[in-house]
Amino acid sequence: MGGAERVGPWRWAGIALALVLALFPFLVLALNSVRPAGEFLSPGAGLLPAQPTLEHYRAVLGGDGETWRFLLNSVVVTAAATALAVALGAPAAYALARWRLPFRLSLVIGLSFLVVRFYPKIAVAIPFYLLMRDWGLLDTHLAVILAHASLALPLVVWILLGFFEEIPREIELSAMLDGCGAWLRFRRVVLPLSLPALGAAAILTAILSWNEFLLASTVAAGEARTLPVRIAGFITDKGTQWGPMSAMGTVIVLPVALFALLAQRWLARGLTAGAVKG
Amino acid sequence: MVTVAVADEAAERRRRRGVRPLPDGLVLGAFLVPALVLLGVTQFWPLAASFGISLHDWTLARSPVMGEFVGAANYARVLSDGQFTGALGFTLALALGSTALSLAAGLALALLTVGEDGRLRLVRALLLFPMVIAPVAVGTIWRMILSARVGTLNGMLGALGLPQPNWLGDPMLARISLAVIDAWQWTPFVMVVMAAALTALPADVLRAARMDGAGRALVFRRITLPLILPTLMLVGMFRLVDALMTLDIVVTTTGGGPGFATQTLSWWIYQQGLRYFNLSVAAAASWLLLALCFGVAALMLLARRRAARWLP
Repeated sequence: MGGAERVGPWRWAGIALALVLALFPFLVLALNSVRPAGEFLSPGAGLLPAQPTLEHYRAVLGGDGETWRFLLNSVVVTAAATALAVALGAPAAYALARWRLPFRLSLVIGLSFLVVRFYPKIAVAIPFYLLMRDWGLLDTHLAVILAHASLALPLVVWILLGFFEEIPREIELSAMLDGCGAWLRFRRVVLPLSLPALGAAAILTAILSWNEFLLASTVAAGEARTLPVRIAGFITDKGTQWGPMSAMGTVIVLPVALFALLAQRWLARGLTAGAVKG
Repeated sequence: MVTVAVADEAAERRRRRGVRPLPDGLVLGAFLVPALVLLGVTQFWPLAASFGISLHDWTLARSPVMGEFVGAANYARVLSDGQFTGALGFTLALALGSTALSLAAGLALALLTVGEDGRLRLVRALLLFPMVIAPVAVGTIWRMILSARVGTLNGMLGALGLPQPNWLGDPMLARISLAVIDAWQWTPFVMVVMAAALTALPADVLRAARMDGAGRALVFRRITLPLILPTLMLVGMFRLVDALMTLDIVVTTTGGGPGFATQTLSWWIYQQGLRYFNLSVAAAASWLLLALCFGVAALMLLARRRAARWLP
């Protein structure tokens, strides 16, 4: 499809409709986060809050500072899980791309990474909980970090594997002839060429970890709760706390939406890497 | 240039330390092992353990350790449980509905927004929003929109004097709502991948066809569609498998209700295992779900090979 193609009025109309459908829910979230508690239940209330208020933000971010802890938990877990997944995944992908193992072992190992994408995580949740209980790691950051890094590892490996395989071997060959071992070739030749792919892998891992609910809620139900686990707690048997839920929803959604906007190109690259080539 | 500099540096280091580089096999092995260990300990071992648990009798409330071997009894129990089969039915319907909806909408969006124009690129970035936010938050947001009394949608319908259905409170409407919510979140995924597939199409072939007088519809059906079909099938497979595992949006929208109308398999297993600590039943059910996911994935890959033949 040529880049110079003219975008006609009908196409813009379709795009406008799509934007409304995709973004209107975000508007509702933002408006509800500044809607006074009393306005939620009044039937005649319009879309715009009559008297906007920051009370919900004060409630979830001020006071006892509870939300700050959950926010901090999420930041720590996301940063550490991303670092761990990329630090383990990049060398592993390089080994799979360059190492000729007998019995098609490279393929078998590569597929065993991929298989993680295809089974329901609820199947590992309970034994993972028991394992963390036995290791004394329940309700710690480390338990959630391990869970998220292992979920993201296959993603990192497959994005980077595709990328490493496309780097011409000649580049490495000359380094090899000059006496560079595998470590130096990886560290000084391949990695500097792979920054876009590393960026894409890191971004997808960070988003996955920031958003993950199931395993985080399984192993960290107290002090170490992350934001998605906390937000689910707003729906109680007593009823839904709409205001605070909206404020915290905004807190969890805003960073990742900004992130997506800034890193759009890398994000699209990561998302399509697996699917298009597969 | 780079490699020369690097090689010089390597040689320099060796002179200083008087060592030869490690054999490649050793280094590459050391590259691979940590990742395999992490995956083995935190994914594959728990997965295998859950299969073991599914063959034994174990309720955590009664005993802290696994009970006796019972063979396939847990599987028989799960399969004869009306709630499980109900959840199975809803999960299949949800997966099919959400996948079909998101494939159609995602392909339409890809066709609408494909192009290198800066404005189109911004549009695509904005349309990505639903898929990058937490599914738990997606559920929360849609609960605000669809709630019968507080919801934005019924507020707008009321203002127009239209009836205000109980979107999440009526069994059938709640099921449809969940499929729409799931499709809303994952349509951007289909869009991104299909936009990439459309960009990769051979431009000269398309141009030649247009110059030969083929209309847009004909070009799409005879050239574009056959070329993007393998990618579409692959995306469909990912969507189906993911939708079969749906849990998060159920947690923050309906909680499986009204009654048990919107229990997905993952939700039912979550309740059995992590709420009632009925570990062996949960483990057996999760292996049935796993088999379903693998089966569907295999079926889609098989279908993908033959898909070209089905085209009109």
